[in-house]
Amino acid sequence: MIGATLSRWTMSYFAAALIALIAAEGLIAAGFGFPSAPIEAPDTLVVVHIVAIGWLSLLMCGALFQFVPVLVARPIHDNALPLPTLVCLVGGLAMLLLGFLQLAGRVAHGLPFFPAAVALLVLGFILVAWNLGRTMWAARPLTLAARFVTVGLVAFGATVALGSVFALALDGIATAGPLVDLTTFGIPIHAAAGLGGWLTLTAIGVSYRLLAMFMLAPELDRASSRGVLWLGTAALAVLIVGGIVAICHGGSLPLALSAAGLLAAASLGLYGNDILYLYRARKRRKIELNSRMAGAALISLAVCIALTVMLIALGRLGEHIGAVVFLFSFGWLTGLGLGKLYKIVAFVTWLETYGPVLGKTPTPRVQDLVVEPRAIKWFWLYFAAVYVATAALLAGAPLVVRLAAAAMLIATCGIVAQLVRTRCLLDVTDKLRLPAGVRQPQLLYATPRQT
Amino acid sequence: MSVPNEALAEEVREALRVVIDPELGYNIVDLGLIYGVAVEDGGVTHVLMTTTTKGCPATDYLRDGARDSAWSVPGVEFVDVTLTYEPPWTPKMMSPAAKEHLGITDGDGW
Repeated sequence: MIGATLSRWTMSYFAAALIALIAAEGLIAAGFGFPSAPIEAPDTLVVVHIVAIGWLSLLMCGALFQFVPVLVARPIHDNALPLPTLVCLVGGLAMLLLGFLQLAGRVAHGLPFFPAAVALLVLGFILVAWNLGRTMWAARPLTLAARFVTVGLVAFGATVALGSVFALALDGIATAGPLVDLTTFGIPIHAAAGLGGWLTLTAIGVSYRLLAMFMLAPELDRASSRGVLWLGTAALAVLIVGGIVAICHGGSLPLALSAAGLLAAASLGLYGNDILYLYRARKRRKIELNSRMAGAALISLAVCIALTVMLIALGRLGEHIGAVVFLFSFGWLTGLGLGKLYKIVAFVTWLETYGPVLGKTPTPRVQDLVVEPRAIKWFWLYFAAVYVATAALLAGAPLVVRLAAAAMLIATCGIVAQLVRTRCLLDVTDKLRLPAGVRQPQLLYATPRQT
Repeated sequence: MSVPNEALAEEVREALRVVIDPELGYNIVDLGLIYGVAVEDGGVTHVLMTTTTKGCPATDYLRDGARDSAWSVPGVEFVDVTLTYEPPWTPKMMSPAAKEHLGITDGDGW
């Protein structure tokens, strides 16, 4: 089989992820966690992990179950496994949040939330890695995009492992000196491995393929794109191995972080150059909303890097790290995620609904499932609100941050409404919506055809 | 291929136009995704086709759609659809009408 399969549970992952994003934005708007509370406060950890695990990681896992088969031109190893995986990840996240609330004194002590979170999240990660790993293993030698995903999964594993140590140390189970040291000093490694390694490297790999597909641009596998992979991998290795060795054996953690940061910056510089090439070499002059929003997200990434460099030069990075992480998470990763989601939901819905009758009856195009002029205003509101919030964080104006988060929340709800309309075929003309043999798709899961 | 078979092959090509690439929104014949149509005596029809990208999730639907639309032509008794990625598809393979429809520019390179 040359083609890829339709992922049965990807829509469920997307739905769970969007609920988490709305919850996180609502909490920030309500004044829960940073910047209304200190950055290291348990309440902040609640919001951070709703974003990192609930939104970004579930979004990425759902997308990978659909698109790793595209990257390697083989069907997914197990199309049923993503459902129990989702249950483990969501259950693990719930336990983790309860653990943080327990730390804050908001939930009664006595129940082992952190160990339960570790067990469920580790199991969830193993299931993700097993399913995607087996799919890619069967497709060796791997394409460049698939190699990015492989490195991303390794970073995912390192992030989960470090997080597990932290959770067990906070629960009082892990008491060995090096583990306590890791918990005390290792948070930058955990955060950078998750946001930079798992989420960014994987997004970079998938973006090479998706941007080429959707803009009709040549697929890149040239020296610079391989350089992005090697430099990114080296940055991760220095970050994780160098960082842990520095903490446990008395080395310099700032030195390891700086070296990793330099390698990452070089990698991202090459990536930016590749993406400019892709946009310039595209055959479709008029690009769709998803590619325009990917451009806006990439600009956010560039602004984030420039902001980081400027703050380092001023010696104020530590003071404003919250603003940098906010822009990275919401401007780059979330902006890219929402833009691609707008396309992927339409594409997958088309495949499920109209694929089986292709050749038997006239069918709409993927673009006939969406109304871009109606959707785009929500995207621009979202990006504008992210930049206002980032500026307010830098200026130390928490009330403005809350107002901007409320605008982000409104924009996200507007985008979600468009996604639901797409899934329900509400924007397809009556003539083409449900020809003979076509079934209305379910909102939260796909029904792959029987082969 | 005899003259009647050539005429039937042309009818099959015409029938294949009902199949669209969902992403590009244009028929697979003008997009250049059909590399060849041959009809043998007895209405046995061979379609050689590709997709815009290897591993495209729509691959199986496009292949089956090509088979079904070819089979709908009177005189066609059997259809064999073969997928190939040699040569890989490029936008240069589109008809002028498809390029114009998609606003795709000509030029050197890919």
